[in-house]
Formats: sequence, structure tokens, C-alpha cells
Amino acid sequence: MSSREPMWFCHQCNAEMRPLMVPEPVCASCHGDFVEKIEDPADDPREFHHGDPADAAGLDPFLMLMQGIMNRGIPSERGSPRPNRSPTGGGNASSSFSFQIRSGSNGPAVFTIGGPNTLGGSPGLSSRSSSMSDFLHSGDDDDRPGIAGPLMAQYLMALLGNRGSHTELPGGLGDAVERGRMGDYVFNQEALDQIISNLMENSNASRPVPATDEIMDKLPREILEVGSSTLERDCAVCKEQFQLETEDPDEQIVITLPCGHPFHSACILPWLKSSGTCPVCRHQLITQPEHHPLPPRGSSPPGNGASRGPGAGGDGNLFHSLFGSMMGGGSSSMSSSTLGSGSSQSPTGRGGREHEHLPGGWDEELD
Amino acid sequence: MASISARRLSKELMEIKNDGCPVGINLIKADDFSTWWFTIEVMGESLYQNEQFTLQFRFDPQYPISSPAVQFIVTEGKQAPVHPHVYSNGHICASILGNEWSPVLSVIAVCVTLQSMLASCKEKQRPIDNDRYVKHAPENPKKTRFHYDGECQCYRIIPIQDLTIRFL
Repeated sequence: MSSREPMWFCHQCNAEMRPLMVPEPVCASCHGDFVEKIEDPADDPREFHHGDPADAAGLDPFLMLMQGIMNRGIPSERGSPRPNRSPTGGGNASSSFSFQIRSGSNGPAVFTIGGPNTLGGSPGLSSRSSSMSDFLHSGDDDDRPGIAGPLMAQYLMALLGNRGSHTELPGGLGDAVERGRMGDYVFNQEALDQIISNLMENSNASRPVPATDEIMDKLPREILEVGSSTLERDCAVCKEQFQLETEDPDEQIVITLPCGHPFHSACILPWLKSSGTCPVCRHQLITQPEHHPLPPRGSSPPGNGASRGPGAGGDGNLFHSLFGSMMGGGSSSMSSSTLGSGSSQSPTGRGGREHEHLPGGWDEELD
Repeated sequence: MASISARRLSKELMEIKNDGCPVGINLIKADDFSTWWFTIEVMGESLYQNEQFTLQFRFDPQYPISSPAVQFIVTEGKQAPVHPHVYSNGHICASILGNEWSPVLSVIAVCVTLQSMLASCKEKQRPIDNDRYVKHAPENPKKTRFHYDGECQCYRIIPIQDLTIRFL
């Protein structure tokens, strides 16, 4: 090599040139910024063609890993014929995949792994390549055990420190991964604890389900009259005996729940708006979340094991539970507004739920 | 007209004054319908012999529809019992104070239930997540949604009607 300033190679237009320093080097020919100085004869960029994985300086171990996955992961190699994906299918490019990395100021770099020999330099190749998610997803259709496509893609994206990848992941994970930011990751136990706590605390899995207006409207109402047998009973909410000629005429209205327990309408309706159960026997007017992992209690009516919403425990997969409850927690979060001073609870008042301090719920942020 | 909560609390207070509290439980402060204090002792054989704790009830205007905020007092030289479901800040992880609250329950019912919870304790220890919880805990325990059945080895108390207590 002479002592002259070495030439540069542009990976975008394959030109050898001296770059324009603006101040980052860009190709003098095409103004692309994927340029490389030709300095090491053992690693001459001209020997490689655009799209060759060997260009990925520093990513070699990763690429080796990917290659390894390729070699093991193609379904057709495991005896389930899949003509379009056969790696031995000659010019068939669908067994390869490409992905883009945006890093630093070098703009997007496209890597294609697998497939036919790219040293052949077929320029149309990358457009025929299947995407990373296609590739990863292909494992899903197979009964192959192990890491499923979306999860694997997530791992890989995390490895890549993915930001703004064009890859679309199947199964709805794409969004979560694509919008990944540093704030989405935690690096110590305490932060993880905090996130888990928040997830747990925001979970509405065990939050009581209020009775609907329809259910409450349909409950039988009785206006107390002389001689009514209800007059011998107590309202279990206010602990008062039912009586005639009360100060407040509303107290003459008695609602008897399907389980047979009577209450003043003004006593039971606010409760039903926070929990659709009988205060005495917990008879469910509306299916409540199952928060008893233990063998069900004798008092639980049969057939009520159905869980509610995505946050409820049970058969849903863990990821869905976590995410479902995280989302659900937001939409059903309680307001902590209080009743106007001096106003009594009206049996027909709307939005009573907003006034309740729900048992055990989060009313506001942590202090 | 007095609110439902005031009427209900005055009725409970009257019963306490007329009939007295169950053994080991004593009302020491009920100046208004917002905060009541009780002392609580575990009678008979237990890990808490000769210990006395102070239990605070705070009521909001929606009581008894909404549960009271119940905790042990840990100021003025008072201590919370060392128990797997009592945090060192006095907060209590008990389902009847949370999602198993029912307006049928009363202040005395809660006292008796917590007394039983202490009486049946097998080993004096703090909840495993005590430090973490106490560090982040809201002032009002009602703002915590305790999990009564998770891996946090939490605990459920079957409502007082059943008068049984079950551990996970």
C-alpha cells in the first residue's frame, strides 16, 4: 500500500471514492452514508457484496447465532415438507430472511441471512426475502417445541437493542416490541419489584364486579305496609329493623335479593354498585372474579368459577393476564371523588360507583 | 338527617357501650365518627401473651358500604404485632378489610377477626415483602390492594359469619 490516503468503498453504490466529510463521511458518488475505508487488505470491502452478512462488523457472534437457528429451525429439515422453505431449494430465497438495523448515523443496514449464495450478487434478492417474523413465525406452524416465534423475535429484538425495526411481529407483540424504549427495561431487582408490584396492584382480578343497572332495576321492591312480614326483620346494612312511618319515606322501600335477604333500597343499592353480591350470604347477582385458589368454599354457588375479563386469573396465558389487567386497570380505575358534603346517598343516584371507596382498591397514586 | 354512616356508627357505639366489647378488646377512643381506637389482646395460649396492641379504625362517609381503614398504631411507643400478615407500619393484609368486606361486618366483628388472626399465628414473623411494602406504602392502607392469595403468602380471613379462619 502506498502512503497515500486510502480509498473508501461505498456499500450503497459500490463506488470507490474519497468521501465527502460533512463531517461524517458520505459517498462522493451517491451521497450514501454506508461507506467504509479500504485499509485492511485482509478485509477488503470490495470483496463483499451489498447485503452480505459479513459486513456486519461487531455483529458476527449474533449472526452466527442466527445462522445456527437457521440451520436448526427450518421446518423442512425436520421432516415436514414445506417446499417453499427448503434451504436446499436452489434459488428459492424464502428460506433466507433479512432485517434492518438502524444504528448510529449509518442509516439502515439490511442484512440477509441464509438463502442462496448472495455472493452471486442478485440485486432483487432482498425483496424476495421473507421477513424475520415470517421466518420466526414459521416455527409456529410446526409442532416443534421450544421458543415460539413471537417470543424468539422479542429476544432477538432485545439483543439487537431494536429501535424502530420494520419487522412486524405476529401475535400482537409487534407493537410492544416496536415501541420499545429504554424506559421499558429495568436493570435491577428493585425496579423489577416495583413493576411487578404495580402490575399486581393494578390488577383488577379480584376487584368486585358491580351489579349492572339492569340487574338493580329488576330487583323486586316492596313498599312496607301494615302487616308485612318484612317488618319483623332487620336490614343487615344499617342494622335497623324495618319500620313504618319513618322520617325518610325512602326507608319504606325494601329490596329483597334473590337469596331472600331484605334491605332498605337506600342501603343496598350503593353496595350493589360496588359489588354485585348479597352482603349477608355473598350470593352473586353477577359473576364475581374467582379469587379463591383454594378449594371453593361451601358458600360459593356452583358454576360461578368463570373468571372475568382479561385480568382475572385462571386459564388465560400469563402474558395476556398481565397485559390485560394492566390495560383493564386503567379503564376501570376508581375515582376518589367524594360525595358533596351533606348529601345523602340517593337510591336512584347515578354513578354511585364513583363515590365508593372500593374495598382494597387503589384510590390514588402511592403517597 | 344523619348520614347512613353516622347512624350505623352510633348504633354500633351504643351496642358497645351497652353490651361491652368481647374479652380482650377495649374501646379507648371514639370521639367522633371518623376515628376509633381499640386495644386488643389475645386471650389464652398464644404467641402474643402479655402483649397489647392498638387498633385504629378510620371511617369514611360511605361506611358501611365502604370498609373502614384498619391498622395497628405504631406511634407513641406502640408496636404492631409481628405476624406474617401485619406489616411493620401497622398495615394489615386481611381480605375482610379488602375485597371480602361486607357491610354486614361491624367494627367489633373486625376486631374479633383480627384477634383470632393473632391467636392462630404459628410463627412470629413479618410478611416476606415487609421492607418493600413499607417503603412504598400509602398512608391509608385502603389504598393498597393487598393480594390475599398470591405468592406473597398472604392470607385470607373468612368473614366473621363463618367464624373460621383459614391460612393459605
